[in-house]
Amino acid sequence: MKRFIIAILMLLTAAGLSAQDRRVDDRQPTIGSVKGTVVSRQGRAPIGGAVVTLLSEGQELYSLKTGSDGTFQMPNIANGRYMLTFSAPGYTASVTNVLVEGFVRDLMFITLSPLVTEERTDVDDDNFIEFDLDDSGYSDTPSILFGSNDVYDNAVSYGFSSIRFKNRGYNSELQDVMLSGVRLNDALTGYSPYSLWSGLNEVMRSKDVTSGLQTSPYAIGGFNGVTNILGNPADVRPGLRLSVLSNSALYRLRLMATYSSGVMDNGWSYVVSASARLGGNDWVKGVYYRSFAYYAGAEKSWDAHRISLFTFATPGQRGAQNASTQEVYDLMGDNMYNSNWGYQNGKMRNARVRKTFEPITVLKYTYSPDMDFESATTLLWRTGSNGYTALDWYDAPDPRPDYYKNLPSYAFMEDEDYGKSNVDKADWMREAWVNRLPEYAGYQHIDWDRLYRVNYAAADGRAKYVQEERHVDQNELNLAETIKWRANEHNLLHAGAYFKWNRSENYKKIADLLGGRYFLDIDSFAERDYAIDPVKLQNDLDYYLAHGEARKLYLGDKYGYDYLAQIRKAGAWVTENFEWGGWSANAAASVGYETFWRDGLVRKGLFPDDSRGQSRHANFLVYSGKVGLAYVIPTGHRFSVNAGYFNDAPTFNQSFISPRTRNTMMDGLTTKKTLSADVNYQFNSMGYNLRLTGFWTQIKDQTDLMSFYDDREHTFTNFAMTGIDQRHMGIELGVKVPLFAQGLSASGILSMGEYIYTSTPHMVQTIDNSAEIVHDEDVPYWKEHTVADENGVVKTYKHYVPSTPQLAAQIGLNYNVNYWYLELNAQYFAHSYLDMNPGYRTHSAVGGPDGIETPAEIAYMAAQEEFAPAFLLNASIGKSWYVNNNQIGFSLQLNNMTNNRGVKTGGYEQTRLIDSSDKKRSYRFDSKYFYMQGFNYMLNIYFRF
Amino acid sequence: MKKILLFAASLLLLASCEEWEPVLAFKYDAPAPEPVVTMTPTHTIAQLCKMYDGAPLRITQSLIISGVVVSDDQPGNFYKTLYIQDETGGIEVKIGRNSLYNLYRPGQTLFVQCNELCLGMYGFKSGTYGGQGMIQIGATDPTGEYETSYLESPLLVDAHVFKGAQGPLVNPIVPTEAQLPKKSDTQVTNSLIGKYVTIKGLTYDNEIFCLLYLDSTKDKKAATNNVFLSDTNPASDPTHGITTWAMSKNRMTQYLQSGRWDACEVARGNDHTGVFLKDLRGDGTYPEVEKNAYSVSHNFVMDGGKTVVIRTSGFSKFGDLEIPKDVLNGSRKINVTGILTMYQGSIQMTVNSEKDFTYEDGTPLYN
Repeated sequence: MKRFIIAILMLLTAAGLSAQDRRVDDRQPTIGSVKGTVVSRQGRAPIGGAVVTLLSEGQELYSLKTGSDGTFQMPNIANGRYMLTFSAPGYTASVTNVLVEGFVRDLMFITLSPLVTEERTDVDDDNFIEFDLDDSGYSDTPSILFGSNDVYDNAVSYGFSSIRFKNRGYNSELQDVMLSGVRLNDALTGYSPYSLWSGLNEVMRSKDVTSGLQTSPYAIGGFNGVTNILGNPADVRPGLRLSVLSNSALYRLRLMATYSSGVMDNGWSYVVSASARLGGNDWVKGVYYRSFAYYAGAEKSWDAHRISLFTFATPGQRGAQNASTQEVYDLMGDNMYNSNWGYQNGKMRNARVRKTFEPITVLKYTYSPDMDFESATTLLWRTGSNGYTALDWYDAPDPRPDYYKNLPSYAFMEDEDYGKSNVDKADWMREAWVNRLPEYAGYQHIDWDRLYRVNYAAADGRAKYVQEERHVDQNELNLAETIKWRANEHNLLHAGAYFKWNRSENYKKIADLLGGRYFLDIDSFAERDYAIDPVKLQNDLDYYLAHGEARKLYLGDKYGYDYLAQIRKAGAWVTENFEWGGWSANAAASVGYETFWRDGLVRKGLFPDDSRGQSRHANFLVYSGKVGLAYVIPTGHRFSVNAGYFNDAPTFNQSFISPRTRNTMMDGLTTKKTLSADVNYQFNSMGYNLRLTGFWTQIKDQTDLMSFYDDREHTFTNFAMTGIDQRHMGIELGVKVPLFAQGLSASGILSMGEYIYTSTPHMVQTIDNSAEIVHDEDVPYWKEHTVADENGVVKTYKHYVPSTPQLAAQIGLNYNVNYWYLELNAQYFAHSYLDMNPGYRTHSAVGGPDGIETPAEIAYMAAQEEFAPAFLLNASIGKSWYVNNNQIGFSLQLNNMTNNRGVKTGGYEQTRLIDSSDKKRSYRFDSKYFYMQGFNYMLNIYFRF
Repeated sequence: MKKILLFAASLLLLASCEEWEPVLAFKYDAPAPEPVVTMTPTHTIAQLCKMYDGAPLRITQSLIISGVVVSDDQPGNFYKTLYIQDETGGIEVKIGRNSLYNLYRPGQTLFVQCNELCLGMYGFKSGTYGGQGMIQIGATDPTGEYETSYLESPLLVDAHVFKGAQGPLVNPIVPTEAQLPKKSDTQVTNSLIGKYVTIKGLTYDNEIFCLLYLDSTKDKKAATNNVFLSDTNPASDPTHGITTWAMSKNRMTQYLQSGRWDACEVARGNDHTGVFLKDLRGDGTYPEVEKNAYSVSHNFVMDGGKTVVIRTSGFSKFGDLEIPKDVLNGSRKINVTGILTMYQGSIQMTVNSEKDFTYEDGTPLYN
């Protein structure tokens, strides 16, 4: 570790020295000039009409526009240090320092990042956040692509979000999301961190985006792109902006105000922003927002220095959604039914509420003596709390309305083999669900009044039902350094180093006693097995030993579990870009070291020796390498190939068998290895725009963990799976064609892939109460396998990476004229699959009680559900007006205009099994699903002064 | 411009008021306590029991009984069911929900509207002591496996079981040995059956009964899946070393792995397999034998020679408590309080908790 830090320091020192070595030569002329070519980062297309301005000490000296080929030349400039700004509509403005030392100073390519500017694309990241249901098996958010002038990326980022499209089938943890040069993917899970700044769209709008295997100036990135959000005050568009947004899919109302000073004459800039997202929506009852956001920052630039300080947070709460089985949706007549809420005193209340306040503070210093060198150092601190409420209960019936024992299928199934034949009772169960009289609401939704009454009746006020709040409170300090150095006209070097320190406390606390007086800190699952041994029941054994009884819990008290996740990461990377004529190439490498451990803060009665204190430290050497080669033909064609290899550490959350109870890590924990490559062709000229990409990615040695009640073991178990491999391959096509009329164009998008599991993972199943291993075997039906049908014909079945369409297509018409725009598109999605439960793919589940695996049993138990294809029609319209230099505009999006309410977007298989009446085979519990909303709108009205 | 704003405002108005409730609710008021129901019973429990005529009877008219809850499922010896009693008798109401004591605590008066419910018998319906099982009220069981089934459906329960006032705990009846039911008694002929009673002066009788399954997911009636721990399997060890009231999964594993049960045969009645538990020993963990919680029946005898069985569930929280040595060796007698039921012509007591066991002088077995 120490050696490693020294290596990083040496790398930084070397870079610094080389920057200082360039001295002014006395013999040169006293007048020079500056020239260069302004190009887009995406496809390196020339940007014509870009404004280039030369400044000296805040005074504008000279300004010109680039030619249609993107080139410019500024002659007759006295030697000295200047500031050069570049701006073009649709791109992030760029500022650089330039040193004129006689002769012609060729800046080569000035790359501008495409900017997400248009209000019609005001997608809010909230769309993806509601899905983080950590206890329902569906815990990932799709990766978010950001629009750019790449036709494909643009369409996918805004048009495919409602179906939870994951580009190339990758999880969000595979996409690097950075703020001000610091990678901010969640340190415990790897998930996208967008929720940390949702509601701050204006200030976080400027970003630098790469996709696939492309490298970024801020990191070498993985194989699913890098998004770096600039976030600093000087990069926020100047002016006062107000907007009012209403939508029917998520929250009713958003109010947002932002003021940005821009860079003032004295070199200062400052920005303040605030927003509120409020209300429910048309589709999912109980989902609501009471979220706010603020941002404040200041920045000062002088000479070669820029320093900025900003802080922001999104305090608030929102109600979450839950998945149910199709039986429940059909009974309710609503695929958007949400079992998380119910009435309390006649008022709607959601049991699952996410409550967050996680402020982030950033201090960034940039040193840029000239155009050729820039060094940026960022210190980022994240703190605060993140809670997620849920019902908890002790020795009382399951309060969830859609608990399987409350459903008609629990009493009666058509298929006699299920052994469920009580029609009368099924009728009673059905009546409770289908009767729409108000007095039946307590059967269809959480009956809060009943929970209170149970607590009122408890003998001495010991609550039976409480609302808990599970916390993951992160404290994270990041230090990142990035360097850009253009050594000469052919070589551009990006390099950087990072250090991350994360200490996250995981615990739960009492959020509401629901009319009870206190709750007791004991483990009700342990009580089932060790009822007469009070020591084993203790969540906090030390408290019990000191006081002779379990802790009585009152409002706000921590209970259940309490441990720290301790995570450290450090590393360095370098990217060399080489350009020669139409050729460009890059090579990149990174190396790093990651370590994490669990630090238990309470001693658990079940595991007195392995719960309190530190676990062993898991250490991983991580590294990656990338190469890319591209060739541009000046007529607008570009060919490129990229390849990379990545050796990444597993995440903290995928490493401990039962982190809530003990320090034990999974056996065979190893790094995840990924090999990825893509081939691209792009054409960009005269309004035509096309990209065709083929990609191939192999990911090896992933792990997964789940916990569930095992009917055969009669107890709660943990299921740890190692050696999960998958392969993603496919093509992407985006094409845009101008049509006969001015401002009219047509576009087509296609994403066609095959994302499959390719290995036979190994699983170890342990009893949660005793750590006893009950199964240690392979999961044979996880990957492709064969089954003979009743005629003896052998067929092969593949198993797919779930929860995203593997085929997605869109055709659209765009009309853009005189500040009006109109867009109409039709979309088709297919080959989306349900997330698989590995427990169903084991020999013991397939064999059933008799242990004999018949082809019919294999076909049934191993089958993976494919969702029906979906067809969607969407439109948007917008217009803006200029009144005395102020802009007023609106945009209106109409999504899913055919009101298609049968589109499954995800879900999961349950874990439990039902034995057949003849005890020869098993049946699965019904799967749970999420559906897409039907017709919905989003209207945004904005003012800019 | 104005038109756009108007349009926006109208969209906001489309929103329902309900969706704003959780947004505006900073605090939820506590609901009012449950109202107390008053109903007039049409039948006594004894009258209801008399209606049973050897076959399940689906009641098709309004028929209300009333009784006070005497069982308590909190310690886990009762599961998904409860007993109520009035002056005339006691009956099991097969509610079929977990942790009933949260809603129906001992001392609570209940009214049961029996219309649409089913009266049936559990236990010995035929054979030597035919017609001698326990009469219960529950839902119909179309499978015919049992005469009644659990109500289970919350709506079904709420439509038939109504809560009256919460009163004090009922005092147990203390019958003499002569008053206790004889082998041929039923709820109709002896009103103690199904009621909350204390039986005094019990001496341990060194005989237990317990039925194990090698794999509870398989056919429970197959001889190859049954092990009867009884006074005949083998006759040389009638208690099988079991010194607890019942056994949890962990306690069962300990008993099994001690080897004391090795001489027990896997068999059912006269259907012998010739396989003994020692044959399944394996590496000492008996891998073929499912580890699970099991109920145990312990035989006690009264001074007059009447046998009283105390049966306790393996899922009860006190099942793993050791029976005191001075009880096991017969040197001290106990009193037991619980629900008096009949099983195969024997009196079978089911206690609510370990507090229901006392020595003959009234001192509790467990503090």
